[in-house]
Amino acid sequence: MNSHELLLLYNSFVHLIMSGLKGLQGEWHEEASKNITFIVTKDCQLACKYCYLVGKNTKERMSWKTAKQAVDYILSCEKDMTEDSVIFDFIGGEPFLEISLIDRICDYLKMRMYELNHHWFNSYRFSFTTNGLNYDSPKVQQFIAKNDHHLSIVITIDGNKLKHNLNRIYKKDGKGSYDDVVKNIPLWLEQFPEFGTKVTISSADIPYIKESVLHLFGLGIHEVNINVVFENVWKEGDDKRFEEQLMQLADAIIDGGFYEDYVCSFYSENIGKPLDLVLENQNWCGAGMMLSIDALGNFYPCTRFAAYSLRSKKPIIIGNVRDGIDKNKLRPFLTLDRTTQSRQECIDCEVASGCAWCQGENYDAADTNTIYQRATAICKMHKARVRANNYYWNKLYRKLELEGMREEFEKSKPKSNDVIC
Amino acid sequence: MLQYLIILLDETSTSFCHYENANQERKLMPLDVLKEGVRFGMMENLMIQFVYPDYELPQAYQEVVESIDHSKIKPYGQEDADVLIVNGFQKVKADVPVVLRITKQELFVHQEEIAVMLGDVPRLNVVLTDVEAFAEADFETYKKVLAGLSSEVEKLYVDGKSPQLNLLTDRMMLSQMNNCGAGDTSITLAPNGKFYVCPAFYYENEADSIGDLEHGLGIKNKQLYKLEYAPICRHCDAWQCKRCVWLNCKTTLEVNTPSHEQCVVAHLERNASRELLRSIRQHGTFLPEREEIKEIDYLDPFDKRDTWQ
Repeated sequence: MNSHELLLLYNSFVHLIMSGLKGLQGEWHEEASKNITFIVTKDCQLACKYCYLVGKNTKERMSWKTAKQAVDYILSCEKDMTEDSVIFDFIGGEPFLEISLIDRICDYLKMRMYELNHHWFNSYRFSFTTNGLNYDSPKVQQFIAKNDHHLSIVITIDGNKLKHNLNRIYKKDGKGSYDDVVKNIPLWLEQFPEFGTKVTISSADIPYIKESVLHLFGLGIHEVNINVVFENVWKEGDDKRFEEQLMQLADAIIDGGFYEDYVCSFYSENIGKPLDLVLENQNWCGAGMMLSIDALGNFYPCTRFAAYSLRSKKPIIIGNVRDGIDKNKLRPFLTLDRTTQSRQECIDCEVASGCAWCQGENYDAADTNTIYQRATAICKMHKARVRANNYYWNKLYRKLELEGMREEFEKSKPKSNDVIC
Repeated sequence: MLQYLIILLDETSTSFCHYENANQERKLMPLDVLKEGVRFGMMENLMIQFVYPDYELPQAYQEVVESIDHSKIKPYGQEDADVLIVNGFQKVKADVPVVLRITKQELFVHQEEIAVMLGDVPRLNVVLTDVEAFAEADFETYKKVLAGLSSEVEKLYVDGKSPQLNLLTDRMMLSQMNNCGAGDTSITLAPNGKFYVCPAFYYENEADSIGDLEHGLGIKNKQLYKLEYAPICRHCDAWQCKRCVWLNCKTTLEVNTPSHEQCVVAHLERNASRELLRSIRQHGTFLPEREEIKEIDYLDPFDKRDTWQ
C-alpha cells in the first residue's frame, strides 16, 4: 500500500470516527479559541471596490507542500498554543476556488490531530467567509457534508441588488454579482440557519443601508453583522447621512417588529460609553494572537499584515513554516493596549466603547512603521452610530415598556456578534 | 525632553554602543555643517557629545569643538578624551571612563582580566555587541560571569575603593529608569547634516532621518521613545538597562518593545546587582538611602503581562 492509499484509508477512518462522534463532540470554546488562517489563494472572481486586499493576484496559490509544512509546524507547537479550541480559517481571495486543497488540508489536520492525541482534536472548526458564487458546486457541497458539525461558513451579501452590485462586481467584466450569490442563499440558510452575513459599508453605500439590511432580513438572514471600513474613505457629511440611515433603519426594525427575531450589529447596548483607563485598557484587535500563513509559507500576526493587504507598508512577517515563529516579533502585538496606541482625544472620548480599530490598518496608515498609532478615520462615523444607537434603544425600550414586554425581551433578546473585520 | 546632541564628526567615527560602524573611508563632516550643528545645540540648550574618528581633526574643527561646552568620545589611544572606546577585548588603563565593546564570548573568556581592569579605570562600561544572539545556555553562563565579577567588585569595595562597572553597580545607585534616551533625551547629527534617533539608525539606513539642520527636527510618533509608551519597560525595574531602541527595532520591529534577550540580560544584571548590594552591606553601611532591590520570580517582564493591570 503506497502512502497515498494509506492516507485515503486513514481519511475514511477519521471520517468514520468523526461521524460516529456527532452529538458527542468535544466541548467548543469560542472565547478561548486560537485562530489560524490559511491564505490559500490571492485570487478572487470579484473585484469589490472596497476590498482592502490591494495585491490580489492569480499566481500566489498555496501548494500542498507548504500547507502540510504549516500543519506539521502548528501541531508541533501544542505547548505554545494552549487555547482550548481552534478555528482553522481559510481565506483568499475567494477560498472556495481552492476547495480541493482545503479538503486535503482539513483531512490532514484531522488525521494528525487524532494521531498526536492533540487537545484540539474534536474541538476545532473550519471557518470560511465566501463570496458564495460556487457555494452550490459539487466539490464544496461534498466538503460541507464531510465536515458537518465542524464548519462555520459565512456568505457575504451586501444588501439589496443595488447596493451589492455597487461594490461587489466581477473582475472579468465589472458586472454585479448579486444574482449569482442570492441564488445560493436558500441552500446556505438551510445548512447554516444560525449564521449571519457580513456587510461592509463605505462612503458610496450609505444611502442604501436601511433598504439593504431589511432586504437581508427578508431573505431569511437573521443576523446582519455590519461595519464601516476603517480606511480613510469618508467624505464631508457622510456621518450625517450615515446617522440618518441608521435612524430610519431603527424605526423600521422597531415599527416592523424585527427586533424580536433579527439582529443588526449596528445596534448594541454596549457602545457609546467612556472607557476606564485601567480596567478597560485592552487592545480591540486580536492580531498576534492569531496566525496567518500565506502561499510562501510565511507567518503573519494577521492576514492584514501580508503584502497583499498593505497599501504603503512592508509586510510584517513573524516567521515561516521552516524556521517557526520568531516570538520577538510577536511581543509588540501581545503587549499592545488601548491607551498606548491612542491619541489623548480617544482616551478622553466619552463615547469610546465600541469604537473599533484594525491593527493592520493602523499600521498601514501610521506615520512610521509602527502598530502603535491608532487610525481615527472612523471617528465621526462611530459618533454618528452612537447617536443612532442611543435613539434605537431608547425608542425600543419605551415601546416595550408601554407594551409590558420589556422584561420578556430582556430575557430572550437575540444576541449579535460585534464582527469588525 | 531633549538634552543631548551627539555629533558624529566623521563617517568613520567610532561606535560607542551596540551598533557597528563598518565605514573605512574617512569623510569629515563639512565644517559649515559642524558649525551649524554646534549653533543648533546652543540654541536648543543641548549638551553636545562629539564622537571622534581614529585620526586627529584639522585645527579649524578643533576650534569649533572648543567653542561650546561638550564631551569628547574617542577611540582608545587618543589624548584629551572624556570617554574612551575600546573595540574588542584588550587590557586598558585610563583615567577617564572606558567603554569596552565586546561580544558575549569575549566577556565569558576574559572575565578575570576584566575584573582586574576595574582597578585600572574610574568606570568601565561593558557593551555587549551581540545581545540579540544570546541563547538559553548563554544566559546561564552570563549569570555565572556576573556572579564572578560581583565577587571582585565586592572585594574592591571592602578594600575601600569604588569601582564602577555598569553591568553591576549602576542598578545599585539608581532610583528610577536610566536608559539610553535615544529619540527622547538625545538625538544624533550625522556628517550629512541630518538628524537621526541615534548613530545606529544612521549607519543602518541613511534615509531614516528625523529632520535636518535646515528644517529642524521632525520626530514622528516621538511619544513612542518615552518610557510611558513602552508597555514592557514601564513595568520593569531593571533600571540600568540601556533599553536600546535600535535593538528593539531590529528584533521586534518596534522602537518601544525590547526583545526577550535584551530583557533577560538586563534582569540577570539586575539580580546580580541585588546580590552585590546585599553582600557589600554585610560589611557595613552602604548606600543607606537606597532600598533593597526586590527579589522577583521572572527574568522577562513580558512573562508577567497578565498581572500588569
